[in-house]
Amino acid sequence: MSEHLLPLPEPSIETEKFWSAVQERRLVMPKCEACGTVNFPPRVACEACTKADFTWTEMSGRGKVYSYTVYHRVYHPAFKEKVPYVVAVVELEEGPRIISNIVGVPLAEVTCDMPVAVMYDEVRDGYLIPKFTPAERSNA
Amino acid sequence: MRDKYAIVGTATSDLGRTGMDSLALLEQAMRRAIDDAGLDVGDIDGIISRGPDNIYTHHQRMGARLGLDVRFSTTLTNGGASQILSVALACMAIDAGLASTVITGYGRNSWTRTHQNEGSREKMELTPDDQLPKEFAPEYGYFAAPATHAFGARRHMYEFGTKREHFGHVALAFREHALRNPNAVMKKPLTMTDYLEARMIAEPYGLYDCSLVSDGAGATIVTSLERAKTLKQKPVVIKGFGTFNNARGWLADDHMIRLAAKQSGEQAYRMAGLSPADVSTAQIYDCFTGMVIAQLEDYGFCKKGDGGPFVASGALSLDGALPTNTSGGQLSEAHVEGMLQIVEAVRQLRHGYAADRQVKNAEIALVSGHGGNTVCHSSLLLGRA
Repeated sequence: MSEHLLPLPEPSIETEKFWSAVQERRLVMPKCEACGTVNFPPRVACEACTKADFTWTEMSGRGKVYSYTVYHRVYHPAFKEKVPYVVAVVELEEGPRIISNIVGVPLAEVTCDMPVAVMYDEVRDGYLIPKFTPAERSNA
Repeated sequence: MRDKYAIVGTATSDLGRTGMDSLALLEQAMRRAIDDAGLDVGDIDGIISRGPDNIYTHHQRMGARLGLDVRFSTTLTNGGASQILSVALACMAIDAGLASTVITGYGRNSWTRTHQNEGSREKMELTPDDQLPKEFAPEYGYFAAPATHAFGARRHMYEFGTKREHFGHVALAFREHALRNPNAVMKKPLTMTDYLEARMIAEPYGLYDCSLVSDGAGATIVTSLERAKTLKQKPVVIKGFGTFNNARGWLADDHMIRLAAKQSGEQAYRMAGLSPADVSTAQIYDCFTGMVIAQLEDYGFCKKGDGGPFVASGALSLDGALPTNTSGGQLSEAHVEGMLQIVEAVRQLRHGYAADRQVKNAEIALVSGHGGNTVCHSSLLLGRA
């Protein structure tokens, strides 16, 4: 039966801080104190300047859709009722690109480079994951 | 390395729905390749092989099956780029004096594996379970290869105006080639209407944009050109090879529309002293239709972004400007992670086909391999002796 439950992320030692902040509706990532580059997924040292001085910093939650796909085929029984749904590569304002869902918009209106903003969605049992929804122009 | 080494034997296993073990399929292909070369098993002193990624030290298993202790053997882990890299590594091993006659090959039994039971069919996942992503994937319903490649296709459409019909022309051209190949899995003609009306998998990719789930293996035998000239088959010369890996990842920069095929191809052209205009036939890694369009651009057969109109012009057909995937490719012959592309290039350059399958005046073949979480790329240029 458990295979019919929606899967939850399994944080690694390096991403625990990201996921625990998401439970508080905050999007945090390691920012290099030396050059300001946000490194995500986390690294031992900065990919841009090689310094190892990171602070987990709150992101703006704004970004744009770099690319996306609409799923029609069901690969996991828990998503049987979810198709069709959008999986996207979201580029955050601060640089990192992450996988997420685009929600709150008709499928046909999703486009590349569309401005989006983070929202938090409960998967199950109170566990939140960040998703993205079209940004209001005033916020973009 | 130019013109020093040659492919002297090649073969495939049975293809399609075999019910066979992946190692057995590769053993079958390797034994057929040894026969094709007119060699004995004992003449082989190097093995570079690969199969499903959960088989540890694959090359040792193949040595045991062939009954061989060897001077050099290993398994590569560059996904679909490994098969060309195996041929390149064979040349390097022989050049270093580590071996004289190397057999390379890849085998998978994807159809058999994914049709063992209902669960495996639903999941259709070939990556070993413990290597699947645990975050930023399953919780978003992000599974399997089509979606990853669909990101690239969608971005290509957005930046360059590529249309689904363009992807369709790739599928149609390769299907037409498969109909001439009695060993190809797909036997029925495909029309543009069939293509456009097929069920969607992960937009913009529908059923016919996706390569086949099939069983199959292929093998080649590499030795020095000097020795090749004394053997049974007309040697097919290794003119050049190149590799490049966008190791920063598929999501980084513009990697999903500008593939490592570009730098990998430039290296191969440089080694061979050749240019895109010299290529008589291309055998391209066609895991998905859009990947063919992107690679044709990256290899310099047309400008970046013009791949859609290029394939719509009929260039890929047997009498087109660039006959491509002339045995049907992974979309319509069988998906053996680029191995069948090498086999077909060798066969075209031997001029052994009847007129309905033979590329006229085939002198130089370009082969591509792509994979390893979509960022590794290998290129091979072959020619007639």
